Amino acid sequence: MNFPINSSPHVLPITSVPIIMRHVLYALIPSTIVYVWYFGFGIFINMLIASIAALISEAIMLRIRNRPIKPSLADGSAIVTAILIAFSIPPLAPWWLPVLGASSAIVLAKHLYGGIGANIFNPAMVGYAILLLSFPVQMTHWIPPQIENLGFQNIDLWSTVLYSVTGSLPSNLNLDAITQATPLDIVKGGLKNGISINELRSGPLFSQLGGYGWEWINIFTAFGGVYLLYKGIIRWHIPVSLLTSITIFAALFYLYDPNQNLSPSFHLLSGATVLGAFFIATDPVSAAATNQGRLIYGASIGALTYAIRTWGGYPDGLAFAVLLMNLMVPLIDRFTTPKIYGQQQ
Amino acid sequence: MSDIKTLIVDGLWTKNPALIQLLGICPLLAITTTLVNGLALGIATTVVLICTNSIVSLIRHTLLPSVRILIFVMIISSLVTTIDLLTNAFFHELHGVLGLFIPLIITNCTILAQAESVASRNSIGKSIISGGSAGLGFTAVLLVLGGFREIIGRGSLFSGIDMILGDSATDSFIKFPFDGALVAILPPGAFFGLAILIALRNLFIPTATIEQRLETNISESHG
Amino acid sequence: MLKYPLFQSFYGGVHLESHKNTSNHKQIARDFLPSRLIIPMNQQFGSDAIPSVKVGQLIQKGEVIGKPAEKNTTAVHASCSGRVGAIEKHPVPTAGKVSTSTCVIIETNDENNIAAQKPPLFKNHLDKLTAINHAGIVGLGGAAFPTAEKLNRKSSHCEMLILNGAECEPYISCDDLLMQEHATEVLRGALAMMEIVGAELTVVVIEKDKPKAIEAISNAIETIGSKCIRLTDIPTMYPTGGERQLVEALTGKEVPSGKYPIDVGCICQNVGTAYALDCFFQLGEPLINRIVTVTGQGVKNPQNVAVPIGAPIVELIKFCGGYDGEVSQLILGGNMMGYTVDTDQLPVTKSTNCIITTKKATTPKPFEIWPCIRCGECIPVCPVRLLPQQILKAYENKNFEELGKLGLSECIECGCCDVVCPSHIPLVENFRKAKHLRMQEIKSSELSNAAQKRYELKTQRLSSQHANTEKLHADLKESIKESSKNDMIKAAVERSKKRRDKK
Ligand code: SF4
Ligand code: SF4
Repeated sequence: MNFPINSSPHVLPITSVPIIMRHVLYALIPSTIVYVWYFGFGIFINMLIASIAALISEAIMLRIRNRPIKPSLADGSAIVTAILIAFSIPPLAPWWLPVLGASSAIVLAKHLYGGIGANIFNPAMVGYAILLLSFPVQMTHWIPPQIENLGFQNIDLWSTVLYSVTGSLPSNLNLDAITQATPLDIVKGGLKNGISINELRSGPLFSQLGGYGWEWINIFTAFGGVYLLYKGIIRWHIPVSLLTSITIFAALFYLYDPNQNLSPSFHLLSGATVLGAFFIATDPVSAAATNQGRLIYGASIGALTYAIRTWGGYPDGLAFAVLLMNLMVPLIDRFTTPKIYGQQQ
Repeated sequence: MSDIKTLIVDGLWTKNPALIQLLGICPLLAITTTLVNGLALGIATTVVLICTNSIVSLIRHTLLPSVRILIFVMIISSLVTTIDLLTNAFFHELHGVLGLFIPLIITNCTILAQAESVASRNSIGKSIISGGSAGLGFTAVLLVLGGFREIIGRGSLFSGIDMILGDSATDSFIKFPFDGALVAILPPGAFFGLAILIALRNLFIPTATIEQRLETNISESHG
Repeated sequence: MLKYPLFQSFYGGVHLESHKNTSNHKQIARDFLPSRLIIPMNQQFGSDAIPSVKVGQLIQKGEVIGKPAEKNTTAVHASCSGRVGAIEKHPVPTAGKVSTSTCVIIETNDENNIAAQKPPLFKNHLDKLTAINHAGIVGLGGAAFPTAEKLNRKSSHCEMLILNGAECEPYISCDDLLMQEHATEVLRGALAMMEIVGAELTVVVIEKDKPKAIEAISNAIETIGSKCIRLTDIPTMYPTGGERQLVEALTGKEVPSGKYPIDVGCICQNVGTAYALDCFFQLGEPLINRIVTVTGQGVKNPQNVAVPIGAPIVELIKFCGGYDGEVSQLILGGNMMGYTVDTDQLPVTKSTNCIITTKKATTPKPFEIWPCIRCGECIPVCPVRLLPQQILKAYENKNFEELGKLGLSECIECGCCDVVCPSHIPLVENFRKAKHLRMQEIKSSELSNAAQKRYELKTQRLSSQHANTEKLHADLKESIKESSKNDMIKAAVERSKKRRDKK
């Protein structure tokens, strides 16, 4: 009998890239449901458009780069990027917003650097940053939670689709009337105009803990994150250090002056904090590699996010914090290399 | 004759200051938010280039090698100051837009490089042609980059043309049917744009060839 | 009085799916008698033994058939009685690959009496070590390093003998069963070793997934009543069985790179080795058989078998019921660190602890390999604390200096990084290639350095020669010039004279 020669270890691998990506998508289900509950079905439209755009740009780029198309399309990383972008753009958005976001993420941030595994920056956050820099108006006008008793004009699914495709609303709806700034935005603007936090937070867009609706979205995102931790897809270092550092900074300033600074719970439960901690900063390709490095990486993102939110020009700083720390990763990796067994002294 | 032709092709393409020598990148990135801005800076730079080259070429025999750079910089700065004052006088609005970048032409390495490697060794005719073509090459890149960023970033082309042509041209710019992605006229857009241009250039002249050429140049000048 | 808490911690490693129960529910089969033996003369370490028998000669079980060629190598014995059929080259599995070696082929007969042996008597310590070598006793954990050599390694002080029964490879169960069935002998062997090295303490290390072996050993410790034997059960985690890893797990100390465990006061021996030593000390029996786990989905009756050294694998498989359908791979050793062979015509050697027959292919198909996504999974599992992803990158860039800095040579090829990699990159295979390339590179750079030096010397010599000739030429030229100048002047003077004369 003749047998083939293979290299050790002779074990089937435990996991694979598509499996990881699939679990990430599963983990986003709870927060999507809550999101839809508060903000309507707009996010589905965005997810769909962004995914299609991401897949098409991925295929085109692979073609141009002469790489096999099928395995890379099937690994699901483009879809994850697209879904994360859909989470970060307003539910009511013209179609070209997710298209531009997803395609610039895939083309600029991923393939120009050499495809999956070689990108220095988190593609989804590059896509988001480009959108935010380019279309500040469209990107910061969120629709308010679609809950009857809040007293806002609500928008139905059909009008959302219509707006996405044509860019205009049915005549009985007025864009300015149905969109609002996000809670973080309102706080930022309000503080600048000398309104105290307490007054600001008495507005209808706020709840006990954070922005109305946002607190539940964030909490359910955290459930998804715990699922990922449980499945071993991500390790605890980045989320824990990120959330801890935001909490510590927020708590310090909050204790110093609760009227000018948002409470830690507000920081944790509004904007993209939890999504960022569990799903964005943990993107393996652009994060630090060692556990020690990940602690530093996560904590720095937390600190930077707090700084940008509080003193920076943009309401939510998580995306920029992640991008900035992406740049620092090689340095962090360099300083956190573990000591090799037997090579001490 | 073929000599002159190579000089021109060199400046415009094979030794293009912006795309191949990567000189003068700072004003290039900062100014090209619109095509008109790019054009204005391009013209200013070209004028300075031609003038410095001719002056340096005229005095090339009397130059003391040890202080030549000093003298180049003095010549360049006097010219630039003149141009600065002239634009301020005749194109006041444009001067407001270009602002600091006109005085900063002094630090544009293209000019110094031309003075050092061409004008101080060649006849005045050759120097002027070389300076002019390098200037035009630079301007061309400014135009392409400026046009590209303006179209994508603002959805318009030739906006601000009135600053050059006078009030009669106020409305003669093109407006495309979209608002544009702001990022293109923000600093990151400049880098993206230049990177794309260099990538395109790479299709025709790969960077490896340029490096090779540089090496042979170095070894030649050393040998 | 114990200096060490008995389990510190274990860095890295992975939990692997266990396959031990495929083979560990049956007793060790002791009635396997092959029809033919292929006994290799080569040794894992040192030069080959020299055959001391002739073709056609009748020999008895336990007789020496190969004499050690060097002082530090071991003798080879006939593991069954029979007639020497041939002495010829035959493929033999050696240190991770198949190579050919001189083998003594024995046609066995039914006479299964061991050559008259009695418990050996030793005059002194050195005598004992020589005797161990002559009994052919080597480490049975898989490396087959001569036991006497290991026991004789010089050091200031040996504090602890680590008796390695961890057996972390997921398929192997031979040590498990040995400990279950021969606990007392194993411990007696350990005591003998302890006496040789002068250690104060023996620690038997067993992974927690072998409760029966743990029970047997702890009972035996009670029966023996020795205070200096301890039992430690450690968490089930691959690769705790590595020598260096075990030392770290038990003492918290690291064995410095390029040194041995003895340099931090420990010595590691496999339980199988202790058993073999005891058989020799009690009965005078040399090492002629070992326990082999025959397992995997591809064999009908997976079990542990006491196999005479040199038995052909094909006969062993037949003894275990033969192949069960199509077999995709034949692996010698564990599935993590063992190696595949292309034929079953090879003999079982002293280092063959396990034979696995698989039915499914375990190598990923090419389209299932993605680029490294830097997930970092490979980093915390590496017991040596390397950065596999960085090593991979340096290898892809052929950056040999970086490979050195990243500690490529410390990689024990345990395969932990490989199993956890979601991109299915064959990391270990790459590292093996990288090691090979790096060695070549180092060699060639040494060569080229030498060549460079030679070249420099030569150019120096040449240039000094050259300078000499140059100078000579210059002098010559100078003198020629001088003389021609003078000539010219003379001629001119003459011409003008003539002209004047004409006037
Ligand atoms: S194979 Fe080498 S690099 Fe991989 S885990 Fe084992 S020792 Fe570390
Ligand atoms: S486990 Fe594989 S994919 Fe992950 S970092 Fe290591 S080599 Fe890269």
